[in-house]
Amino acid sequence: MTGANFLQLILVVLILVALGIPLFSRIPRKRLFKPLDPAEEEFKHLLVRKEEVLLSIKELEFDFKTDKISKADYAALHSKLEQEAMDLLEKIDDLEKRLKKKKKTSAAGTA
Amino acid sequence: MNDIGEFALLLALATALYGVVSYVIAFRSNRVDLYLSADKTPIIVWACVMVSSIALWRAFMANDFSLQYVWAYSNIDLDFFYKFASFWGGQKGSLLFWTLILTTYMMVVHVQNRKQNLRLVPIALAVMMVITLFFLVLLNFSTNPFERIPLPPEDGRGLNPLLQNYWMVIHPPTLYLGYVGFTVPFAFAIAALLTKNLDDGWIRLTRKWTLVSWFFLCMGNLFGAQWAYIELGWGGYWAWDPVENAAFMPLLIATAYLHSGMIQEKKDMMKVWNMSLVLLTFIMTIFGTFITRSGLIQSVHTFDEATLGYYFLAFLGVIVAFSVTLILIRLPLLKGKNELDSFLSRESIFLLNNLVLLGIAFATFWGTIFPIVSEAFRGVKITVGPPFYNQVNVPIGMVLLALIGIGPVIAWRKSSWSNLKRNFTKPVSVAAVGGALLFPFVPLTDKSEIFTYITFILCIFVTTSMVIEFMKGTGARMQAHGEAAVTALSGLVWKNKSRYGGYIVHLGVVLLFAGIAGSQSYSTEVEKNLNIGDRFQLGGYDFIYEKLLVKKQNSTKTRVIAQLGIERDGRRIWTGMPEKEFYKGQNQPVTEVDLISTLKEDVYMILADFNPETSAATIKVYVKPMVKWMWLGGWVIAFGTMIAVWPDRLEARRRTERLKRQEAIFMPAQE
Repeated sequence: MTGANFLQLILVVLILVALGIPLFSRIPRKRLFKPLDPAEEEFKHLLVRKEEVLLSIKELEFDFKTDKISKADYAALHSKLEQEAMDLLEKIDDLEKRLKKKKKTSAAGTA
Repeated sequence: MNDIGEFALLLALATALYGVVSYVIAFRSNRVDLYLSADKTPIIVWACVMVSSIALWRAFMANDFSLQYVWAYSNIDLDFFYKFASFWGGQKGSLLFWTLILTTYMMVVHVQNRKQNLRLVPIALAVMMVITLFFLVLLNFSTNPFERIPLPPEDGRGLNPLLQNYWMVIHPPTLYLGYVGFTVPFAFAIAALLTKNLDDGWIRLTRKWTLVSWFFLCMGNLFGAQWAYIELGWGGYWAWDPVENAAFMPLLIATAYLHSGMIQEKKDMMKVWNMSLVLLTFIMTIFGTFITRSGLIQSVHTFDEATLGYYFLAFLGVIVAFSVTLILIRLPLLKGKNELDSFLSRESIFLLNNLVLLGIAFATFWGTIFPIVSEAFRGVKITVGPPFYNQVNVPIGMVLLALIGIGPVIAWRKSSWSNLKRNFTKPVSVAAVGGALLFPFVPLTDKSEIFTYITFILCIFVTTSMVIEFMKGTGARMQAHGEAAVTALSGLVWKNKSRYGGYIVHLGVVLLFAGIAGSQSYSTEVEKNLNIGDRFQLGGYDFIYEKLLVKKQNSTKTRVIAQLGIERDGRRIWTGMPEKEFYKGQNQPVTEVDLISTLKEDVYMILADFNPETSAATIKVYVKPMVKWMWLGGWVIAFGTMIAVWPDRLEARRRTERLKRQEAIFMPAQE
């Protein structure tokens, strides 16, 4: 066996060990992710939308300050976005409450 | 070391195959152990490709001509830097280099997303791994850079003299960093389609990747133009060559996506459009590679042994079919939720900009493939040259330039005519005054000069609208925070990095447009047969042919230099040294131009021919205005991009808060 062959063998062994360790060791978590929870997805989506609407309000205010939008349009769009933000916050709060309650109930059930 | 390098490529292939399979099974069966095993593969594949690359570099440095690739692209006398760059001088090495960048990016994606975005990242990495696998199959079974020569010669054939330029060290890596970078958004887009995670999460995850790849591709194109300008000796920098076009098209489509992606983030609309643009950008990068490596189209940029056409064509076919099918299947899930508030809004301008960019991309694509199509259907290969591209793309490009200036002035969501009128008054007035002031100085004898004049007016319009945008923002900030002007300006840019970074990029684009327009239309040239002591004039410069020098640089290279004295207003300002370089074993000499480059103009000197017995020489000189503006535009683009991609603390804090809030409600995934 030449030096190069020996080095090749070492490389193969190292790679097999690196790939094999997770397969044969004890891992506390068995699942990569929970099954898709529509509520979780909805919650994530609402949080992102909320941020975007708040950013849009800031941008709208900036556009108004820099005279890119008329007073009437600004007022109409501002109240539309505000309403959108309120609706989103309401939905987020509702969902949060429901999910916390559900979590408490399931924790009590388990105990 | 060569054995190890070759073996490492095989190991990379086997590991990548395992990576694809294990990532997919881990995701589908929701197994952590398999995922953790799969998650080692990006690092292992990268390490193997790196070992292989180091082995090839070592072979170049050690003049190991037992490797056919090293023999073909290097020789003993080659400078250190060119030996380093010879790595990507030919097809085999450039494929290995592509794979090295791809695996490096894959490793970075893996590190960035450790233990997060697990509903998307395993599949995105699997997609990247499939693409890596394709390149590794080529490297192992078709274009192995470690192919041996049974009886190694004492010296190599040497690197093509045209490639022996410092740009060889800079241009290909920059271009490849851009090309390969688009694999990341593509992989995430496919992962989003496959896993049905079709909100804008994948766009947010890959926004900076897209921007950085766009930047590298843009700079790669500019560096290539600079290289062509100083090395090819024809006085130009862009020839609408198929390979140049191949690098230009993904840039245009990615630019469209960078704009329309913002609309999806803001308004949750244009999902199908954005998805298509991302996929198309990647498809065009593979198309570019196909053009370069298929041998189908002749170009100075294509590789000598361009034999990989069928592989890339098949790969391209699979990607296109897979992408289109996937989009069609997911179409119901890709419906946007919002509509345009008004047609008079920045969103509309972005849409128009998308159409214009795609229009240029389509015209360029058509011109690129037309020779192939005509040959296939009519048996005659019709060459499509610069006149076609200029005729089609120049007017569309001018519309694009105008849109760059109009966009910032219009509000998001809705604008009114009265505001528009007010906001356009200043930039339009300044542009009109600028146009009037320029009028006596610019010739307007043909269509090209008229277009150039309009381009200059548009450049003034865009610049003014940008400056006003900065001034208004600064003013608003000064009023709101009571800050001094400089503090307010820096605060404005720093707090809105992507917006104002983008505006700076636009200013760079304005410089590019101005440079292109000026240098294309107002260039003058002269070619003279001269004896020692002869004089001639061009563009206010006097040229005196002083002597012909012959210098033997080393055993392989001889230089013939024409010395020119250059005077302006009777005062000597420069000694020009255009030359021809003769390389041993090469039939054609290489032209090395000499250049006086200022913001006003370039004086570009070429030694076209000479007679060693009489010392007579043919000298060609161009005076090209505003060329430097283009290169300066490139640096402004680089500066703007740097600001735009700079990490945003506020955004990071928002993301952390969002995650905390989610975690407070949802249990971590425990069995």
